[in-house]
Amino acid sequence: MLLVTGLLLLGGCDPTDNPHGGGDDPIDIKPKATGTLEIDFKVPYSYSLPPNKVLRADLSIAKGAEELYKGRFMRVANVYNNKAKYTFELEPGTYYYQAGIVCIAEGDSCSASNFPGGQWGMKWSIGVGVVTANNTTTVVPQFTN
Amino acid sequence: MRKSIFWGFCALLLTPVFHNCSTEFEMNAENLNVPIAYCILNSADSFQYVRLQKTYLVDQAALETPPHPDSMIFPGEVVISIERWQDGKPVETVLFQPVTDIPKDTGFFPTENHILYRAKLKVQPLQKYRIYIYIGDKEKVMYAETNTIGRLTVVDPLDIPQRKISLTTGTNYISRWQPVQNAGIYQVALRFNYKETKDGVTELRYFDWPQGYTKPSSAIDFLSSEISGARFMHLLAENIPVDPGVVREVESFDFAILSGGMELRYYIESTAPSEGALLEKPVYSNITNGVGLFSTISRVDVTGLPASSVTIDSIAYSPFTRELNFLDHTGDRDSTNRF
Repeated sequence: MLLVTGLLLLGGCDPTDNPHGGGDDPIDIKPKATGTLEIDFKVPYSYSLPPNKVLRADLSIAKGAEELYKGRFMRVANVYNNKAKYTFELEPGTYYYQAGIVCIAEGDSCSASNFPGGQWGMKWSIGVGVVTANNTTTVVPQFTN
Repeated sequence: MRKSIFWGFCALLLTPVFHNCSTEFEMNAENLNVPIAYCILNSADSFQYVRLQKTYLVDQAALETPPHPDSMIFPGEVVISIERWQDGKPVETVLFQPVTDIPKDTGFFPTENHILYRAKLKVQPLQKYRIYIYIGDKEKVMYAETNTIGRLTVVDPLDIPQRKISLTTGTNYISRWQPVQNAGIYQVALRFNYKETKDGVTELRYFDWPQGYTKPSSAIDFLSSEISGARFMHLLAENIPVDPGVVREVESFDFAILSGGMELRYYIESTAPSEGALLEKPVYSNITNGVGLFSTISRVDVTGLPASSVTIDSIAYSPFTRELNFLDHTGDRDSTNRF
């Protein structure tokens, strides 16, 4: 009985035992290769609005068009007035992005610049970026006037 | 003869030694009733407050025996006034009045008989203010002055509801503001608002997370404080109790950006834990004829900023916070989901 218990204990102490299989082979953990999706989020110039009245409002990334449509984003960036380029480290693949700008001018200036709903109205740009391993893909959202 | 002179000399030497070996001695010096005053002028408030107390003495262990409330305040007449100075002369004088309607937070010191002095005063930026505190019991006038700081202009976050806040592992938020004249220190405080429903009763709750201090730098356009998304997740897990009978919903984020005067900076530095060999630092005071602090702060609040869907889902399903029972951004709680 003592001998059996001892054998079990010794067996349990085998440092090469891999619970996921593979025998004596060490577990090979390698970081997945990633690439960079860079979004050059320029705020478009509008003739009828001062530049500080149109601001970046949203920048979200999804794995597919349907995910984007349903609001199931994998990343949402914090957007700032004084930062134009936003980078995302992602596994290789195709990603969809949406970029939104908001008009904060008072009166009917926003409506005159085709921002729906006037003040706080938003314009959206949706696009695709293909990320490849160890490379940077740059996309520039385009907004209609 | 020589022997007796020797013993006589020894006795003479030992006399003061025996005399000094008395076991009775005074542990405490006499209580000097030193006045202690704190007044931080707040440019975001219409009222300003002064807290006036005094040093006290207890016979028991001081850290185990709270003082009697009466032993911390001065009896008799107290007159507190504040002056705004311009071009070398006072242009505005306001008197403080005692109030007892503001409760003191619980703690070591007694909560009853909590007197504050209040004045209706809107603090002007970039002005010199002088405070005078007359204590009749001591026939003494305490005095201090401070220069108020300029207006604080916050760059991020802006009060734009469309701009959602992302705070998740790997996504930090950077709060920015313009340097303020006369400011010595800055701090950003984040409040996370959430709803908690238990047994059909819903309550609003919040979790406050003050960030570290930021000191002014020269020749830069913006100062900033980076809020770590990973740390935020860990702090939620550490500070919100797990309760299987509770359902929680993310509400919003509030930001408070504060700037303080130079005196406040010196005071904070003097009360911070020591890192060097000098373990006990003297606490900074800028009050003449007493101890305490007279300084100024400016504060800007940006409230009700919504969380991004990724942040809401991350709080609902991340390994650190999934036991807290937060709903995801669709208002659902899919227990099989792993973020």
